[in-house]
Amino acid sequence: MAKVLIPTPLRQYAGKQDSVELGGSTVGEVLGALTNQHSELRRHLYNDEGKLRSFVNVYLNDEDIRYMQKDATPVKDSDTISIVPSIAGGSTATLPPQEATLSKDEILRYSRHLIMPEVGMEGQLKLKNAKVLLIGTGGLGAPLGLYLAAAGVGRIGLVDFDVVDFTNLQRQVIHGTSDVGRKKLDSAGDRMHEINPYVQIDKHEIALSSENALEILKDYDIVVDGTDNFPTRYLVNDACVLLGKPNVYGSIFRFEGQATVFAYEGGPCYRCLYPEPPPPGLVPSCAEGGVLGILPGMIGIVQATETVKLILGTGEPLVGRLLLYDALAMRFRELKLRKNPDCPVCGTHPTVTKLIDYQQFCGIPHQETKPVAETTNEWEIDAVGLKQKMDRGDNFVLIDVREPHEYQICRIPGSKLIPLGEIPKRVNELNSADDIVVHCKMGGRSAKAVEFLKQAGFRKVKNMKGGILAWSDKVDPSVPKY
Amino acid sequence: MIRIEPEPWRQMVEHARATYPNECCGAMIGSVDGDRKVVQVALPLENAFTGAQAARYELRPEDLLKADREARSRNMDLVGIYHSHPDCGAYFSETDLKNSCPWYSFVVLSIQKGEFDHANSWLPNPEQTAAEKEELSY
Repeated sequence: MAKVLIPTPLRQYAGKQDSVELGGSTVGEVLGALTNQHSELRRHLYNDEGKLRSFVNVYLNDEDIRYMQKDATPVKDSDTISIVPSIAGGSTATLPPQEATLSKDEILRYSRHLIMPEVGMEGQLKLKNAKVLLIGTGGLGAPLGLYLAAAGVGRIGLVDFDVVDFTNLQRQVIHGTSDVGRKKLDSAGDRMHEINPYVQIDKHEIALSSENALEILKDYDIVVDGTDNFPTRYLVNDACVLLGKPNVYGSIFRFEGQATVFAYEGGPCYRCLYPEPPPPGLVPSCAEGGVLGILPGMIGIVQATETVKLILGTGEPLVGRLLLYDALAMRFRELKLRKNPDCPVCGTHPTVTKLIDYQQFCGIPHQETKPVAETTNEWEIDAVGLKQKMDRGDNFVLIDVREPHEYQICRIPGSKLIPLGEIPKRVNELNSADDIVVHCKMGGRSAKAVEFLKQAGFRKVKNMKGGILAWSDKVDPSVPKY
Repeated sequence: MIRIEPEPWRQMVEHARATYPNECCGAMIGSVDGDRKVVQVALPLENAFTGAQAARYELRPEDLLKADREARSRNMDLVGIYHSHPDCGAYFSETDLKNSCPWYSFVVLSIQKGEFDHANSWLPNPEQTAAEKEELSY
């Protein structure tokens, strides 16, 4: 009697034994006896044509029977026959195969989708096989990440190089207080996996640029734009048009939001709607203009809804339709958008056929690396210098060009408030013979004010670098930052 | 579902990082209870593929045989196979599928630029046409 060793996963078909003793004078006879005794084993070892399955190797003691006499290899009483699989693989360039089934766990998890005929198994499998790229894991990315993970989108890419900041928590609900300081990709990824461990999350810790955008976007089916600046919006748009991927767009500003689907099925692209970017500095960022924390939640969900609809192929997507949302009035409006036949990117005779320099396109001068020893020029003063002037008892005027509601939050003692927009009409309140120092929150607005005053003939005017935030950092930490 | 204990997990990640940018492969040994598997020992094996190993791996059946014997000698079972994908997602590729065996869990480790990024575990079907993702904890 020879001994046949049974691999662990097959033991349940061999009466739970880890080895079986059988009679037979050749390997073929012994295996035949094995499958006679335990008929369930047959289909695991042999295919429908009665041949050993391609991944099954049979060893007589230490030798592969293929190099001996195969089934006819003679067997002695003390021999051991082992069933050993052939295993190989590789990460070759071929795309991963489509998942054909849902596991029992997944069926239970998504049961509320599956019981709706509009989704069903077919729809849920489409979600599982979908590959969606979220650009930005902030205000818009937060609800997108949470809900698309919950819905069972199989593969979600995240693009963000930023770190969770305390001021993000007012709206970026995918991050928590304990995540402050962590990479946004890690924080968002953890939260999404907590909701749904079945989702494959690709983390792209980079700033999207003309050099890497096409490479990163190409592996996904749908791109969702959750960014916060114009150069990236134009970059994402152009890349989507060039690659033929739909761009699910959303944007927010203070109390209003917009959403639409660009670059899909003959519809317009971002450039059809906004051929030119606004002049730099005209449209403030969330840090500069503020945003109602709840607002990106609404728009992000609209984007998530459109993404799911595109994947399932149901409903009417926002193609050629710009959804406008006014939170204060709680009103939704729609504008019809048409593809522009002369659009330089998606028109009939496109002039933009590769990605360009988007910073330049948006008129933003490239950041030059500052020299290590920075000399302050005569038009600037830093927070410490201002304190020194005060301590010395210098005769000067301190002008704060922020808005009244900011002045309520905090102020530098002795400052006079003249909001930036009012400087032109109130310039007669200032005396060009005086030493004047101007400040705002971060140094941007005050720089503009100083420029204006210089043009108006003021010679003894200085901008306080870094604004009241720098004052809080370097002079008086009791002044709250906002 | 499959759970990998800290020590074998550490060894698997080290093995994958050490062979980067090539693929590594090895066996996972432990215990099986229905569809719950626990990996207690990792056995790094040699990648026997005779061409470029940056995107291919192959296990010698003799090595697997030895791994199975090792498992039996410790009163454990061969639970599955692990391998790495350098600079690539931890999906179960066409190549992985066509050369898989439905008896084992296949843990794929994604090593991005030399560092561990993420991992998945897969259960291929007997027809070698599809693989189901298995819940993995480590």
